[in-house]
Amino acid sequence: MTESGATKSEASRRQEGMRLLAEALHEFAEATSDYPRLLAVIAKRVAESIGDVCSVLLLSDDKESLEGTTYYDRDPEVARQYAAVAQRRISMSQPTVAREAMQSGKPICIPRFDIETLRGRTTPESYELHRRIGAHGVLVVPLRVRNEALGTLSIVRYRPEHAPLDEIDVEVASSLANHAALAISNSRLLKSARSEADRRLEAEAALFESERLRRAEQDLARANRFLDAIIENIPDMVFVKDATTLAFTRFNRAGEELLGLGRHELMGKSDYDFFPKAEAEFFIQKDRETLAAKAMIDIPEEPIQTVRGTRWLHTKKVPILDAEGTPVHLLGISQDITEHRSAQAQLLQAKEAAESANRELESFSYSVAHDLRTPLRAIDGFSLALLEDYGDKLDQEGRGYLERVRGAAQHMAELIDDLLTLSRVTRTEMRRQRVDLSELGRAIVARFQSIEPARQITVVIGDGLSAFGDEGLLGVVLENLLGNSWKFTSKRQDAHIEFGATEKDGVKVFFVRDDGAGFDMQYAERLFGVFQRLHHATQFEGTGIGLATVQRIVKRHSGRIWAQGGIDQGATFFFTLADEVSTP
Amino acid sequence: MSERIILLVEDNPNDEALTLRALKKSNILNPVFVARDGAEALDYLFLRGEYAARRPAGNPELVLLDLKLPKVDGLEVLRQLRADERTRLLPVVVLTSSVEEQDLLRGYALGANSYVRKPIDFNQFVDAVKQLGLYWLVLNQRPPESK
Repeated sequence: MTESGATKSEASRRQEGMRLLAEALHEFAEATSDYPRLLAVIAKRVAESIGDVCSVLLLSDDKESLEGTTYYDRDPEVARQYAAVAQRRISMSQPTVAREAMQSGKPICIPRFDIETLRGRTTPESYELHRRIGAHGVLVVPLRVRNEALGTLSIVRYRPEHAPLDEIDVEVASSLANHAALAISNSRLLKSARSEADRRLEAEAALFESERLRRAEQDLARANRFLDAIIENIPDMVFVKDATTLAFTRFNRAGEELLGLGRHELMGKSDYDFFPKAEAEFFIQKDRETLAAKAMIDIPEEPIQTVRGTRWLHTKKVPILDAEGTPVHLLGISQDITEHRSAQAQLLQAKEAAESANRELESFSYSVAHDLRTPLRAIDGFSLALLEDYGDKLDQEGRGYLERVRGAAQHMAELIDDLLTLSRVTRTEMRRQRVDLSELGRAIVARFQSIEPARQITVVIGDGLSAFGDEGLLGVVLENLLGNSWKFTSKRQDAHIEFGATEKDGVKVFFVRDDGAGFDMQYAERLFGVFQRLHHATQFEGTGIGLATVQRIVKRHSGRIWAQGGIDQGATFFFTLADEVSTP
Repeated sequence: MSERIILLVEDNPNDEALTLRALKKSNILNPVFVARDGAEALDYLFLRGEYAARRPAGNPELVLLDLKLPKVDGLEVLRQLRADERTRLLPVVVLTSSVEEQDLLRGYALGANSYVRKPIDFNQFVDAVKQLGLYWLVLNQRPPESK
């Protein structure tokens, strides 16, 4: 605090004033960008330079009143009291010292005053405060810039040790006030410039925000259109119902086409408006079940009345839940299965027809077996009776004819039996199991040997040959293949037959090989045809059905059969059978 | 043992003649009664209708039963025989014409004692009948007559 008083010379006090002014200018300039701080700096500077209390009073925007903004005293309590008094606006209509200074534009200095002279020239509260602290000098300096009054600086001396205010104090205070006013004006300009910039920035931000919203809405609309297009184009009927009223809130094109109704007719209405009562009740009941269970339900078949008559639907109903898990909508997706259903019914009919045809075939086979064999038995039996009982009455030729009759009858019986076996192969149901082919083969060969014990023949059957298939049918395969070998080696001395297995490309291949009459490879394809024979009946007997039967059985086991051979070079039949793993 | 009657149930006169011939050639000399359909066979066995007073009144020694018969077929005859206490244990040999018939019969599990497939070769038939006769009429001890 710079002391000012009569003890110092006038010159040194003026010099001191210049120094204070220079410092104040610097401080004011620094605080220009911060308006409230600027006011505080002004009050403090002036109070410290002149003393004791300094108030900054500023004219309100409507110019109706003076408002106290900042108060400074080195005693904070006094500053607080001043602030309390000046909370009130000082009306410009009241005759106050501040108003006088403002209007005149000149400082008013009362160096030594009776407190009572202040009565009526300031507010009652202000008067009371000044009286209490013992104010003895007042200086009010207007704040003016370019002839515009901004307010006043009010300086009050109350400390008893301080000299009365004088001309130099007024000069210094006026200079400080001029610079303070300029700084306030600048700061206000800066502030308003800033707020204008802020306003523009805000406006731009608002514009940007609204643009962003508009874009987001566009994106949302695009996404909605995309989803709408998907729902609209789903080829099954898609509908949405309100969870409470079960009225339709959404319908797609497939639904309109199925029902033959436009969505404008459907929206807001319920099943009762379109379908027979029992049908509507069924739909509604299923809706309620879905919503109660809060889980999808599947209705494999449901009839629905449409303009095209009764259609059959496979429907799935799904509850749509809100964030709390309460169902708000019911989504339904229905597939029209009418055609599929009738196709299935036709398939079933066809299957039944096929099965009935199969049963007829079976009874036909039975009749063939029974009825064709019966007369053959008579032909053979009575031919034999004739030979036995009347043989002596016939010559060699006559007996020969009877033998031919018997031979033909027996051959025909074999044909019938083989044909029945062939048809049985495809008709009978397969019972698949692990089958020991080695054992099966040995049993068959043993039977051949018991019938023709005199044959000189070496039969080799590999050990551990097994397959997964129908034992009876695989027996027929071996019976035929081994039987063929047995038959076609009958004209050889010391014949050989081998049944074994080899591997080709990772697949087990069974084979039956012999060194018998063989066959011409150019007819290999014909071996497996029904009634196809490569040998004359006079050479080797046979019906020409056996290999066709074998091929059918192998095919039923998802296998393949082929043959290799040459005339008088023997024959080898190879076949594969599906493995256990690939068995359907 | 003239009372040891064989009942042959056979509708085909050729098969009947051949069967009788085969029995004779196999030295089976038991008297043979021939029933020509299933109904007649059942009347004979259960002493009904024109057989109500037949003598001797007991069961035959053996029934040779064809399957395909007029009126009542062989399967039904067999079923009724097995269902009746009097004939439950009566030896029945079924004469079949095909392997299929044998499969069919096994499927019904009606309790035939044996099957003979009538072979085309008459000699085989004679052999089969011989075996039958030996087994049922000589080797096999009949179960005691049920009351």
